[in-house]
Order: sequence, then structure tokens, then C-alpha cells
Amino acid sequence: MSEFEPKVVAFFCNWCTYGAADLAGVSRLDYPPNFRVVRLPCTGRLNPKFIMEAFKRGADGVWVSGCHPGDCHYIAGNYYARRKFILLHTLLESIGVDPNRLRFSWISSAEANKFQAMARDVIEHVKACGPNLTFRKAELQLDLPEVA
Amino acid sequence: MPEYLVKENALADFFRELTQDRRLLTPQGQGENCRLEETDPSKVSLEYTNTHKSPKECFFPQTEKLLAFSKEADKPHPNEYRDLGDKAVATVIFGLRPCDARGLCVADKVFQNDRFTDPYWKGKYEKTLKIGLACLNPSPQCFCAAMGGSPFGEAGLDVLAYPRDKGLGLKTLTEAGEALIKTTKAEPGDLKSEIADLEKKAIEAQGPIDHFVAINERKIMELYKAPHWPTTAEPCLGCGVCTFFCPTCHCFDIQDEANERGGIRMRNWDTCMSALFTQHGSGHNPRPSKTERIRQRFMHKLKYIPIKQDGVRGCTGCGRCVVMCPANIDIRSVAALMAQTQAS
Amino acid sequence: MSNLDTLTQKIREKAKSLLEGGQADVVIGYRTGTVPLMAAPFFARTPQDCDQLVWSSFARLNLANYLPGRTEKVALVAKGCDARNAVGQVAENQYPKDKLFILGVPCSGQVDAAKVAAKEPRPIQTSEETDDSIKLTGPGYSTDLKKEDVLRRNCLTCAHRTPTLANELVGPEVPSLPTDDFSDLTALLAKSSEERLTYFKDLIKDCLRCYACRNACPLCYCPVCFVDETRPQWLGKSTDPMDTMTFHLLRGLHCAGRCTACGACETACPVNIKVREFNRVLDKTVKENWSYEPGLAWDQKPPLTVYQPNDPADFIK
Repeated sequence: MSEFEPKVVAFFCNWCTYGAADLAGVSRLDYPPNFRVVRLPCTGRLNPKFIMEAFKRGADGVWVSGCHPGDCHYIAGNYYARRKFILLHTLLESIGVDPNRLRFSWISSAEANKFQAMARDVIEHVKACGPNLTFRKAELQLDLPEVA
Repeated sequence: MPEYLVKENALADFFRELTQDRRLLTPQGQGENCRLEETDPSKVSLEYTNTHKSPKECFFPQTEKLLAFSKEADKPHPNEYRDLGDKAVATVIFGLRPCDARGLCVADKVFQNDRFTDPYWKGKYEKTLKIGLACLNPSPQCFCAAMGGSPFGEAGLDVLAYPRDKGLGLKTLTEAGEALIKTTKAEPGDLKSEIADLEKKAIEAQGPIDHFVAINERKIMELYKAPHWPTTAEPCLGCGVCTFFCPTCHCFDIQDEANERGGIRMRNWDTCMSALFTQHGSGHNPRPSKTERIRQRFMHKLKYIPIKQDGVRGCTGCGRCVVMCPANIDIRSVAALMAQTQAS
Repeated sequence: MSNLDTLTQKIREKAKSLLEGGQADVVIGYRTGTVPLMAAPFFARTPQDCDQLVWSSFARLNLANYLPGRTEKVALVAKGCDARNAVGQVAENQYPKDKLFILGVPCSGQVDAAKVAAKEPRPIQTSEETDDSIKLTGPGYSTDLKKEDVLRRNCLTCAHRTPTLANELVGPEVPSLPTDDFSDLTALLAKSSEERLTYFKDLIKDCLRCYACRNACPLCYCPVCFVDETRPQWLGKSTDPMDTMTFHLLRGLHCAGRCTACGACETACPVNIKVREFNRVLDKTVKENWSYEPGLAWDQKPPLTVYQPNDPADFIK
């Protein structure tokens, strides 16, 4: 049996983590290919419904990453985002979503090495959780008649 | 059509005989938990007020898949919506209250009439025999008689049953119902006068009855332009509780859901209490506020449906919306206001 | 005269004088409902209307819900929670403070109809209340219930039973109760994640998505709710359990830190879902992190609209 390869939806701030991913790429730092990146102008733009939509559609994990506190391109977007994360993180964990499926991090655009390490760590944790079978929308049952 | 008796010690056998070649649905549980469920013939209960939700969901579930398509090229008809076939199974429902049976009749005329036939409703409706259980002691929030029904109402039923000496009295109402009872060992008996007496008592138990006849006499526009609508609507929260629990409400919304493998088309209950119900693609909404929406609901129940269905009202007096409306908008009070409307 | 009658009397007198004096165009309060255990929201616009206003233990909705978007001057008959929500709406610019008159009613708790039904399953014809009991009658019976046995669970942990920022109180202050210590949640959160997920999935399995909880909530005043958005459509319209779960989670998040635990959502739910369970998880977090309680000051900022440079976030790596 081949090893489980998770799908992780990653929401990266344009001004930092997205750049870190870029820098990691040009620096030839290899990291797992299991995540699909959605670029945000700021983590302040992250609406909790984006995360729910990712899980609903079957993502095995979600990773949100933005600028370090104090570094926001828009002065305070990540400070507001942080409060949202605190609630979202607690809510999802409380209702029984494995906290290893949801990761928040601060990575500046210069931190290619941190990005590489974090990417590996995220995927490793999600792998340990196994496929997301319980916190997603059920597969569509087409129930088409066998003979048409 | 004749009457029959089932004695207490023959009840379990009676229900077993009913279900020889069909499943049996009866109300199970009490209060908020009372619902129609597939029932073992030995576990039928006669002790319940009514199901929490109306029985329309047996024929018109909240979510119903209509069509599906597959994108897989090696399957027949890829990328084409296909009918899913009629999966209705032969059923007998025992224990429908007459108000709800009458509600099904109203909805049936919407789903099956000389202009349209809804195959999804029809398949289930035609394969179901309906045995009602008359109400000897109507609940305090019941008002079927005011809406033209009766605790012993027969509309929409194949057989009307009522509790009798811990057994049952039965009156068959259709040929299918008669044929069904003939397959059991129910004994023939003459119950006509007993039923008439019990019905009279049950109606009297609903207290003095206002039939709101003036609503029938007023013209549509007189009722429509009546000044009370804004105040009637003011407490409304705009939730869909009244419509979701109503035995005659039948509006639905068609939705598609698809992914990379294929897709389905389904219909879901919708509610005229929601602004989205009439929202046009252009952004225009012909019922922009809750005043218009509330007016629509009550006009539909008490005026439009009677016009289309030979005087039969779209409210059967089951009392669910009265009890469940969080803001206590009581259709009896609204009907009274409509009945007081002045002729122009 | 019972305390309830006195309150009713005071509400009527004050409502009349506010309308007559032009301080209010409408008094939003309650009148006797048409079914037992029910007080119906009522909008009194003339002094004669005011004679229909009543106070009871069946005033379960939150009348602050009727404020947003209104242009008239409103006098709001408000329990502790309603008053806090009205203050919250002023803070969130949903209603102007200078048009609002809070007619505060010290509240001894509201009756939970489901708890009554559990104690008295027979059909109920009438309900009459005294200060501490409810007399129920039905076909062939009459019974008395102690009010304290059938209060809503949010009323049992109400720390602000007397409205905190009312323009006027119609009765003497009621001693407040020890606030919600979330002890039941602590026990729940100690369980395994599988057990918790099962618990929360079971909690909402009967949800019809009628949105009565949302519509009864004074915090839910968005012109278009995310569940009704169509471009894109965030939520499927079927009764899919994950769509339903998404609704409840996001509804909870939107109310986080703003919820006064008024219980209107649970009152409105036709299938008795404990919808506030989601809010409580969040309230607990808000309280622990920012010791914030909504509706206690006119200029209070909801916790998600402000930040501290040192907000606790050890989980962010």
C-alpha cells in the first residue's frame, strides 16, 4: 500500500509567507508538494468560511501563514487575524477536529528555511492524522441506474 | 363503505396482516420526538397527540434527489442528467391525524393536477395506503373544525380508524382501503351512529368555532389591501418554522451540486418567509419586506388555495405553526383580522 | 398584588407617558400570547395599546432584535440580556443611542417550554403564573410547577438579571446569579476528539436549517447572511450534515464575544437544539483571554474589532 499523501490547503499572505515559499524555491530548498496555495493580501483577509470550505470539500489539513506580529504590510491586519485564529482554533479543536489538521504560523519573506521546516512539519502532522473522513462533506451519491 | 371492528387482543395480528406486502409507518415517540417511523406490527401506539413534523416529508422530503449525471466517459450517457428511477416502496401509514391527511390532499392537488404531474410525489403517493386515527380528544391548540375539517375528517384517507375499547373501530373510505381491510380479520360491525356521536363530541371539545366565513366573501384585493398587514408582520422573525412544519406548504428550490466525478440535481424545501425566496437574478425583489411575505403566506393559505381548490383551505388547523412560531403569530388571529376586513 | 402584576402596571404607566410625552414613537414589549407559556412581542404605538403590555416569565425572545434598521424612537421593554444587546447594537452602530429608551425590567428568569413539556407531557390548555409557580390546566387536570424547576438553562447562570444600563428600571433590582462557569463544557472538552465530534454532530442532527436561531438573534443583522450568499454559494441548501455544521460553527464565530446568552436562539429552535453550545465554547475562550463581557458600556468595542500586541497565541508557530 502506498503511503497516504494528504491534501492541504494553504492560505499565505502575499507579503511574507508567499515570498518565503518563493525564496525557498529559488534557493532549491525542497519541501513536500502536498499543499495547494491560496494567496491572500493579508491574513486579515482570511474569513473563517474559507477554512470551513476547504474542510468541507475534503482537505486533510489547512495551513494559514502570515507576517510576524508587528510586520504587517497594512500595520495591524495580522493582529486582528490573530484574534480570529484564537477563536477559530479553539472552536474547531473543541468540537473534535484534530488540532494537527490546522496550522497557523508566522513566516517572513526572508525565512525560507523556516518555511521549508514548517512545510515538512505541517505535512508530517497531517499525515499522522490520516485522511479526513469525518469533517468533510460526504461524497456525492449519484445513484445512477446501472443500465440506462 | 362499511365499518369494521378490531378487538384489543386482535390488534397485533391486525397490524401484521396489514403489512403482509408493504412496510408500516406509524407515529412513534412522544411530544417533540413523535415522528412517523417504520414500525414493528407489535409496537403500534395509539397514545400520541400528533407527529412533531407533518407527514408531508414521507412524500416530499426536505431534500430529494431528482436527477444525476456522471462524468465518467465509460459509463452510459456521460455528462447527461438522468432520471434516477422510481424507488418508492409499497407502504401503509397508520395513525395519520385527519388534519394532516387533509393537508396531504391539498399538497397532492399541487403535485398532481390536470396541468402537471410530479413523478416524485406521485410514485410515493400512489404506493401508500393511508389509515387515519381520529381524534377523540383534540389538543387545545387544534382548530380543524374552524378550517372546515373535523377530528373525524375523511379527506385523503383510505381508512379512518378510532380507538374503541382498547381496540379499533374502522371505517373504510376507498376501494383500496376496503380491499386492504378485507385482507385482515377485522370483523364487520355497524358503527355509523357511534362515529357520528364521537365526532360531535370531538368537535364540541374545540369550543365555540369561528369559521372565518367572511374571508371567503371578501375579494382578493380587499384582503390584500387590508391595513393590518404591517402590524401583523411586525413581530415576524422571518424564520421558516411555520412553513417547514406546515402539512400543506409545498414550495421547493431546485439546486445542483457537482464535483469532478459528476453531479446531482435535488430539490429542497424552501420558505416564502425568506427574502431569498423571491429574489430575482436582477436583484429586484417583489416581496422586499416581511409585510409582503407574511401577507403572501396567509393569503395563500386562506384565499388563493381555496380559490384554486374549490373552497378547500390551505390551512387544516393542525396547530403546528401556532405552537411553534417563536413570535406567536397565530393564524387564527390573522384569519380573524382578515375576516374583519371591510368590503370596498 | 404579585410582583409580576406590579411590573406589568409600571410598564404600562411608563409606556403611556413615554408615548404621550413624545419620548418614544413605539414601545416594544410583550403582550399575552395566544397559546400557553407564551408572551408575544408587541408594538405599542398609542396609549390605548399600552394596556395590552404585560410582563411574564414567558418573555423569552430578545426584543433588541427589533432595533436595527428602525427609524422611529423606540422604548424597549428589556430584560437584563435584552438591554445588554440593545447597548451592543448602539456600540455597533445599528441603532442611535439618542433614539433609544431602555425600560429595564429586573428579570427573575424565563421559563423553558421544553422543560415544562418534559414535566407535564399532557396537552396544556392554559398557563397562569404567580411569582414563583406556574399553574397549568389541560383536559381533565390541573397542576402546579415551581418556576425555579423549569427556568431556561441560560437564566440559571445569569450575572446581569437587572439591566445594567437602563434609562429607567420598572422594579427593584433582582440579585444576580453566579455567572456561567462552563463546568459542563470543561467535562465535555476533557473527552477524546472523536467523542466531542460525535457529540457536536449529534447535537445538530435534527437541524432543519430554518434559521430561526439566526433570525431570533439580535446579533444577526447582516443584510445578507453568509448562508444566503449565492456568488459564491458557501453553503449547500440540502440537509447535508457538514453544511449544517458549517452553518452552526460560523454562526457561533460571528457572535463570538458579542453573545449575551439571552437564549433567544434556543427558544426559537423548533427542534430544541442546544445551539448555544457553540457560542459557549467561544464565550469561554473570549472570557479567558480578554475577560470581555458584552453590553456593559455604550462605547465598548467587540473583542474581534480590537487587538492587543501581546494577545495570547502560543499555538501560532
